[in-house]
Amino acid sequence: MISDLKRIRNIGISAHIDSGKTTLTERILFYTKRIRVIHDVKGKDGVGAKMDSMELERERGITIQSAATQCEWNDHFINIIDTPGHVDFTIEVERSLRVLDGAVLVLCAVAGVQSQSMTVDRQMRRYNVPRLAFINKSDRTGANPFRVAAQLREKLKHNAVMMQIPIGLESNHEGIIDLIEMKAHYFDGPNGEVRRVEEIPEALRGAAEEKRAEMLDAVSMYSDELMEAVLEERVTPALIHEAVRKGTLSLALTPVFLGSAYKNKAVQPLLDAVTRYLPSPVEVTNEALDIAKGEEKVKLSSSPEAPFVALAFKLEDGRFGQLTYIRVYQGQVKKGDSIVNGRTGRDVRVGRLVRMHSDEMEDIDSAGAGDIVALFGIDCVSGDTFTSPQIHYSMTSMHVPDPVIHLRIKAKDKKAQTNIGKALQRFTKEDPTFRARVDQESGETIISGMGELHLDVYVERMKREYGAEVETGAPQVAYREAISRRAEFNHTHKKQTGGSGQFGRVAGYVEPLEDGDFEFVDEIYGGSIPKEFIGSVEKGFRSMLAKGRLIGFPVTGFRVVINDGAAHSVDSSDNAFQAAGRGAFRAVYSAAKPQILEPIMKVSVEGPLEFQGAFVRTVMQRRGIIIGTTEEEGFVRVDTEVPLSEMFGYSTDLRSSSQGKAEYTMEFSRYAPVPAEVHLELVKKYGTGLIADDEE
Amino acid sequence: MYQKELNERNPLRLFEHSIHGGLGLGNLGVIVARHGTGKTALLVGIALDEAMRGRKTLHASLDNTVDHLREFYDEIFIDLAYSARLEDPAAVRLEMERNRILHTYAGKSFTIHKLRHSINFLKEYAHFDPVCVILEGFDFERATTEDVEAFRQLAVDFNVEMWMSAVRHRDLPVDSHGIPEPLSKFASAISVIVQMKDEGNGVQLSILKDHENPEVTKVELALDPSTMLLVKK
Repeated sequence: MISDLKRIRNIGISAHIDSGKTTLTERILFYTKRIRVIHDVKGKDGVGAKMDSMELERERGITIQSAATQCEWNDHFINIIDTPGHVDFTIEVERSLRVLDGAVLVLCAVAGVQSQSMTVDRQMRRYNVPRLAFINKSDRTGANPFRVAAQLREKLKHNAVMMQIPIGLESNHEGIIDLIEMKAHYFDGPNGEVRRVEEIPEALRGAAEEKRAEMLDAVSMYSDELMEAVLEERVTPALIHEAVRKGTLSLALTPVFLGSAYKNKAVQPLLDAVTRYLPSPVEVTNEALDIAKGEEKVKLSSSPEAPFVALAFKLEDGRFGQLTYIRVYQGQVKKGDSIVNGRTGRDVRVGRLVRMHSDEMEDIDSAGAGDIVALFGIDCVSGDTFTSPQIHYSMTSMHVPDPVIHLRIKAKDKKAQTNIGKALQRFTKEDPTFRARVDQESGETIISGMGELHLDVYVERMKREYGAEVETGAPQVAYREAISRRAEFNHTHKKQTGGSGQFGRVAGYVEPLEDGDFEFVDEIYGGSIPKEFIGSVEKGFRSMLAKGRLIGFPVTGFRVVINDGAAHSVDSSDNAFQAAGRGAFRAVYSAAKPQILEPIMKVSVEGPLEFQGAFVRTVMQRRGIIIGTTEEEGFVRVDTEVPLSEMFGYSTDLRSSSQGKAEYTMEFSRYAPVPAEVHLELVKKYGTGLIADDEE
Repeated sequence: MYQKELNERNPLRLFEHSIHGGLGLGNLGVIVARHGTGKTALLVGIALDEAMRGRKTLHASLDNTVDHLREFYDEIFIDLAYSARLEDPAAVRLEMERNRILHTYAGKSFTIHKLRHSINFLKEYAHFDPVCVILEGFDFERATTEDVEAFRQLAVDFNVEMWMSAVRHRDLPVDSHGIPEPLSKFASAISVIVQMKDEGNGVQLSILKDHENPEVTKVELALDPSTMLLVKK
């Protein structure tokens, strides 16, 4: 266990897909001596960077799963949670953010702040994660860190302050000038591991002084002491560090660093900044919900004597079984301890405790508050809370969106048949936005998720990790049905076919419900329906919601109010009133004007201004609406909303119409009614024909 | 309430009446107020009303991001829909969004030429032919008579109603009509000037210029600070 919590940093490295995040992580691991050789993403040596532990990720050059790894720098322990860069895996990003205390936002010095950076930044803001910015790729043609810092201010509304300026850019990028110490830093040796500190070159002195003045001006806002020191011209580096730290922790300031990870420039000063300015676990307030006290919020303490509380934020299927990554929030856990899974109430014995270094591990005996470690062979799902037996806490539940897309899959052979089950069980445990079920009518397996790429990745993983080859159908959008107006019902269910009969009458109305799927309100006064049958009526209604009568998709936003009815002393029963509820639903559904709702995605397209016309065209062709456009120095971002059903094959279309210079991000926005012509098409395609029966 | 009824009951109808039928196509109108009085809210209210009546509206901004502007619209729309118990708000909102495009010029990249270019672009590629153009965040203090004349000409050329906002500074003098500097210099190019003033009991609207009418009508309108909606006094 690490005894001094103040020296732990739990950080994420979060960034746009191509800003070189994995390369940066690789360099960090090299300089902190966790690895001896540097491999590059899509590297020639075929080994690939360390953090991309899955084969698939290596091949695609992207990071999908977040692995945790620990390294040491300046007497500090840094746990790095590698976060994925693609929006389709947002749940992964969000889950990682939950356990971070701080983050490094990596930006490309050429491309600057892109739409993905905005999504990630918004998520970090939601979880109050203090950030440093690192402007990478300063060696590339067109690199301009000053422009990127300005974008941080304008586009992301950060109070971004440059703490360094570059010594040369593009192919002349040699190092950086530290504006605090006012020294030039160069990075020598085959891998830039030798730091050489010199006086600032004469040609850059003026610029450095000007930028230092700007920096002091911004930073002194967070420390009266520094402000006085500036006026009295007795500024010390320590005073500046303290002020920057204060500003960063309060999320009021984003210190900006720069360099080139690929060319081994200025990664070490960034590590210094991580240990200096980002918070230790002690400086972050964490809360849990006390289940025993009706989910009352409780502040957690980092004291090792306090009862143990930890969150399982990540599961991985390792070679030796399930590996569960946990973040310890309170108390400590030792090998051999018994802890409780709050969700299941089951006792779990900690057999083996390991600290992860990408896919290699180190056995440890105990872990304390602030630590990020992994447990072996423990049965749980992502998001479970583990505690000591004497308390029943849960870390706040994370928002999990409903999937918006379904895909039918079929095993190609017998071997696949048996392995699919294993794979799906694993994936659904790892990722709450990924679901799998067997369709009762067709017997086919249906997987669901947050986007096409999301499901593609799992299909690939089935093949690679489980040897299960599957055939897939066409992706299917998760439509919904919802009523659009209030309608009244008065339905009698009556059956008399020998023996005891069935009788139940229910009356009331249904209306659209804005937040939520279903609400049942009992407004019967005077007992026209006996209390014991009210629940039966609700059950009857509820049973009809899984398959709407328009196109057979689930009904949401449905409120039922019953205010009258009748019962028979002999013929009324639970069954009779359930049937009455079902009958009432059938009778009232079409009168309440059901609509088909479709998932609408927020799609942001970004690229050179000359392709603006092409962007708009690709969106307009897809029933999209333009929400807004932002113009800036030759670039344009078009924010749009497009129905998910129209987005298949979009990346190919966009690529070809922008010569590959544009990119887009997509995330779920909301459900909205489909236009009339699409409504008719869908009814034709999926129509149950039931609504026609209702109207007869 | 149905959308049509909501449109008819909008206090903006009273405002239009007070300025003799509205701003009118081909004219320039300016809303002037101190910082933080609610200029953006009033402009969003005007744009929302236009878009909900099926009139295409371009809202251009020099100092708000698209996301921020959209939040403004969403909030005002939700308040409006809620207070009027609007039928089928989702469909109304969707239709409104189809009739509205937000456009921001980040950094200091704005020129009048670019705005003309954007309108032409929207007409050509997005089949979006606006009848109302809103421009907020333009700095009248640095403007020349030619600039303001160019805005008026834009309104004429594209046949749109064009609304802009202007910041009023405390110490600057006003002319005989109560129009503060620097706006008073450009009054001949502006058809309608409306002032918003925080009177302590809410933000009151007053008309400083109404086309070429020598007398201006006293409007009984205020901006409700909690909902940012225009209300009759």
